[in-house]
Amino acid sequence: MSKPVYDRTHHAKMATGVGDPQCFSGKAGDAKFKVGDRVRVRDLPDIFYTRTMTYARGLEGTVVELVYESPPAENEAWDNTEVSEWFYSVVFSQHDIWPAYSVGYPNDTLETEFSERWLEAV
Amino acid sequence: MSSSTREEILRHLDAVGQLQPALHKPTQAPAPTEIDHTLYRAYTRSAHDVGGEYDVPIEYHEKEEEIWELNTFATCECLAWRGVWSAEERRRRQNVDVGQTQYLGLPYYGRWLMTAALIMVDKQYVTLSELSDKIEEVKNRHV
Repeated sequence: MSKPVYDRTHHAKMATGVGDPQCFSGKAGDAKFKVGDRVRVRDLPDIFYTRTMTYARGLEGTVVELVYESPPAENEAWDNTEVSEWFYSVVFSQHDIWPAYSVGYPNDTLETEFSERWLEAV
Repeated sequence: MSSSTREEILRHLDAVGQLQPALHKPTQAPAPTEIDHTLYRAYTRSAHDVGGEYDVPIEYHEKEEEIWELNTFATCECLAWRGVWSAEERRRRQNVDVGQTQYLGLPYYGRWLMTAALIMVDKQYVTLSELSDKIEEVKNRHV
């Protein structure tokens, strides 16, 4: 029986001379959210792999940037790059994240990125 | 088998016994009803998602990279360059697939190196018996 043959350079072919995530530019379609939108992080199943931190689930924050288009990490981690999504940078209040956060720093924020599937409109 | 091999095997079994997941109660072969949603979620979470978990402070050590660490990094980048994995697949394998015990217990570049070897086996570039023979050959060179 012969081994299956994959084109394991398909990603390199896409990204050579262009860069990653630039090679996915224009592939995610219209963005669902815009800068200034209030969003909530979804608590989706997180078996096998995720880059969406548990501590961020259920938090509400504000979109501050549409950063790039790329396959979601959960898919790219198994080399599935056919479908791309918008990635958003979202800002949260540290007090919303950590119940015991010092009251001495009321303006502290945390900014981090999510792909579109992890966010819902508030 | 020499007696030193048996001694190493017995030491190994003892060390593995001490690596049991720290649930602080016996956990062998639980009945399905013993795993409620809270425990299920705790068991199946990604090992690298440690933000917000309770832990003791870790002392910060400034440390130069060693030659084997730099070589490991270069090897892993070459695997990416030749299309064997993307950075995301590498992270998934070295941070999550290794499991909680190895994630917390092995040095950072140790996980890179183990993962580089495993993907060569997983994607059929080498067989595990070829890899084992090579490790044994190199080991014997340094006895």
